[in-house]
Amino acid sequence: MSSGITEDALRAEVEAWLADNWTGLPAHHESFGRDPRSEWLAKVRDGGWATPRWDAEWHGRGLSNDQAKIVERAFAAVGAPGAGQDRSNLWANTALAHATDSFKRTIVSQLLAGEVGMCLLYSEPGAGSDLAAVRTRADKVEGGWRVTGQKVWTSGAAVADYGMLIARTDWDVPKHRGISFFFLPMKQEGVEVRPLRQITNESHFNEVFITDAFVPEENLLGPLNGGWAVLQTALAYERSVMGDAARGPRSGAGGPKGDYSLLGLAQEAGRLDDPLVRQDVAQVIAWRVLNKLNTQRAKADMAQGTSSPIMSLGKLAMSRILHEEARVRTMLLGPESLLEGPDHPRAEDANFLSLNAYFTSIGGGTDQIQRNIIGERVLGLPKEPEVDRTIPFRDVRAG
Amino acid sequence: MTDTMVRPEAAPAALDAADRAALVDSVRRLLADRCTEADVRRIMDSESGHDAALWRALVDLGVVGLTVPEEHGGAGLGPVELELVMEEAGAALLPAPLISTAMASVLFNGERLAKIADGSTIAAVAFVGAYDWTGRSDVRVAGDRLTGTARFVPDAAIANLIVVAGEDGVFVVERCDVTITPLPVFDRTRRMADVAFNGPATRIGDSARVAAARDIGIVALAGEQAGGVRRMLERTVAYATERHQFGRAIGSFQAIKHMAADLLLESESATSAARDAARQLTEGSQTKDAAIALAAFACADAFVRVAKDGIQMHGGIAFTWTNPAHLYLRRARSGAQLLGDGNQWRERYIQALEAQA
Ligand SMILES: Cc1cc2nc3c(=O)[nH]c(=O)nc-3n(C[C@H](O)[C@H](O)[C@H](O)COP(=O)(O)OP(=O)(O)OC[C@H]3O[C@@H](n4cnc5c(N)ncnc54)[C@H](O)[C@@H]3O)c2cc1C
Repeated sequence: MSSGITEDALRAEVEAWLADNWTGLPAHHESFGRDPRSEWLAKVRDGGWATPRWDAEWHGRGLSNDQAKIVERAFAAVGAPGAGQDRSNLWANTALAHATDSFKRTIVSQLLAGEVGMCLLYSEPGAGSDLAAVRTRADKVEGGWRVTGQKVWTSGAAVADYGMLIARTDWDVPKHRGISFFFLPMKQEGVEVRPLRQITNESHFNEVFITDAFVPEENLLGPLNGGWAVLQTALAYERSVMGDAARGPRSGAGGPKGDYSLLGLAQEAGRLDDPLVRQDVAQVIAWRVLNKLNTQRAKADMAQGTSSPIMSLGKLAMSRILHEEARVRTMLLGPESLLEGPDHPRAEDANFLSLNAYFTSIGGGTDQIQRNIIGERVLGLPKEPEVDRTIPFRDVRAG
Repeated sequence: MTDTMVRPEAAPAALDAADRAALVDSVRRLLADRCTEADVRRIMDSESGHDAALWRALVDLGVVGLTVPEEHGGAGLGPVELELVMEEAGAALLPAPLISTAMASVLFNGERLAKIADGSTIAAVAFVGAYDWTGRSDVRVAGDRLTGTARFVPDAAIANLIVVAGEDGVFVVERCDVTITPLPVFDRTRRMADVAFNGPATRIGDSARVAAARDIGIVALAGEQAGGVRRMLERTVAYATERHQFGRAIGSFQAIKHMAADLLLESESATSAARDAARQLTEGSQTKDAAIALAAFACADAFVRVAKDGIQMHGGIAFTWTNPAHLYLRRARSGAQLLGDGNQWRERYIQALEAQA
């Protein structure tokens, strides 16, 4: 659906709105928990700019894709965040597509303003790549479900208000068919979060122990036992977001001159006249640009609002970019890369990148799983035989 | 490097999406009919490597005069359409001097353009001096005479005009005034020859359009490569679906599936790069030098990798002469040298980025 407004009128309206409202925001590096910018994000939502393609009922304006881009560009031009979440907000998209009406009413607007912290309760010690093997159980009780089990690698769990949870609700059917998808309230007795120390020496991810925690009836997304399909939409969003962007420099600033670009680093390191260095730098930059061009093409081809399988290429591309960029940054720094700490922000950035690149190549499904998905769903190659696809989950061997 | 020279804007693209799709479709249908694998092999095995009847059909369809302005009998289209048509040509391994023709169209004026469009002239372009991508040519200009040899000139043996393009200007020389030595090429679908000059040449322009000719050549070549990549990948995926070993289709083995997934990334990236370069050249954008350099090495690398890994994934069948896989690898290897190799273009890419920064 597209609204009758002309492009010029729309551009004028959004620019005027930004002129009246946008005064800038302090820099922040928080990627988990409630969004520190939520006051601003609420304004964006109420102005109808957060999700311009959606209907007014869901804070949108029913704009066409091209019109929505005018909005996104106007925001980008002044550096204001929050517009275009109808493409980028994993949580809100999943909720809008699958939540019950009553739950949607409250949650979607909170999600758009970043008023609630979120996490993904998918992985378990025995169910990583094979997510359909989850053993966390949700048993029906009066008014909802009781949940018991253990999750792991849960980014942001410590500061989350809700977790998107997959749990087993039927043990007597094959593994993909007995899973349901919930929004589990995190701040309750029965949900215990223990931080894990990561290879980057941060602790954003956690173990989550769930013991008889309660999830109300209205927090079920999609049909009971139909959680696998919901998970697929949510995962596709997550992967396309991961293919679009990755965390920048840890130092925040990007070194003395504030230039985080690879070209800038090579220049500073005085290595830009080494022909071999130039080849490496050119290649990494080229991969980044190619990934951007692919994403643009995929988005242009994509039917509005749905995820495209071609988007799954982005995450694989991004993990190659990050690992290779880390290698080249390290090479440029030479022995300085052995150091860390605030006096050596360049080294910090390179070392952080070489470790954090795994966030993309393991998190959200490993590169190997991505290749399986691309091979099977995009290229249509025959599926890997799965020995446990047809037997009741109760009888599946675990370990 | 003369890359910073002022050059005229390329002709704008004139078609909307539907007309563009119709154009591509008509080229695809012609090639499906007239440029089958058997045709490619027949032409490749022929003395000249050129099929005059097929060329005539391409002239009639407007493909040969695609970028020639309408007032000179061409279709008056731009790099975007050229790139799309070249994707089809590349997929079919079309052995025809389309890249040479596109480059000559940029260098020519008036009557010469009309003769390109009506098929009566086939021109081969020899880049010399600072534009010599072979590093082996020694052509010199002395007054209105040329001396020396241009090496690896594509399509020279079938051309009736040789265009010499370098920083000293653009010249044309009649076929009868040069000595043409065909080279024994690895890719028989792309013929090359050495051209020795020792005689009069007609100056038809200064150096202002030389870089533009090379740019359009890269866009055409990148499109050809993107099309070749896509077809080779399609063939490989189809084979991996049909071929069974150990009781399973080989495509169900991860070693094969994962290679295929990586090749899809190469293929999509090549298409993106070629189309973006065409778009930026059409728009005359500020960053077009970078976009063209990127397409030049990204598409070449992608084609070599996909053709190479594609053969591995086929197994022994692709090691035979009768399987077309090696034709794609040969085409990929010849394209990866034509107009400059990957290292040269990565170097130009980073220079363009430095200039932008
Ligand atoms: C930084 C980070 C953040 C994360 N955040 C979250 C989060 O917020 N929420 C959440 O639920 N999870 C999260 N994860 C978990 C992540 O999704 C899993 O780690 C990932 O899916 C891999 O599972 P695994 O660790 O159990 O490895 P395994 O599945 O045991 O895999 C081990 C190795 O075997 C390979 N392998 C396994 N199966 C196959 C197969 N079929 N074909 C080919 N190779 C295979 C894998 O590629 C890998 O190399 C996070 C992980 C990381 C690293």
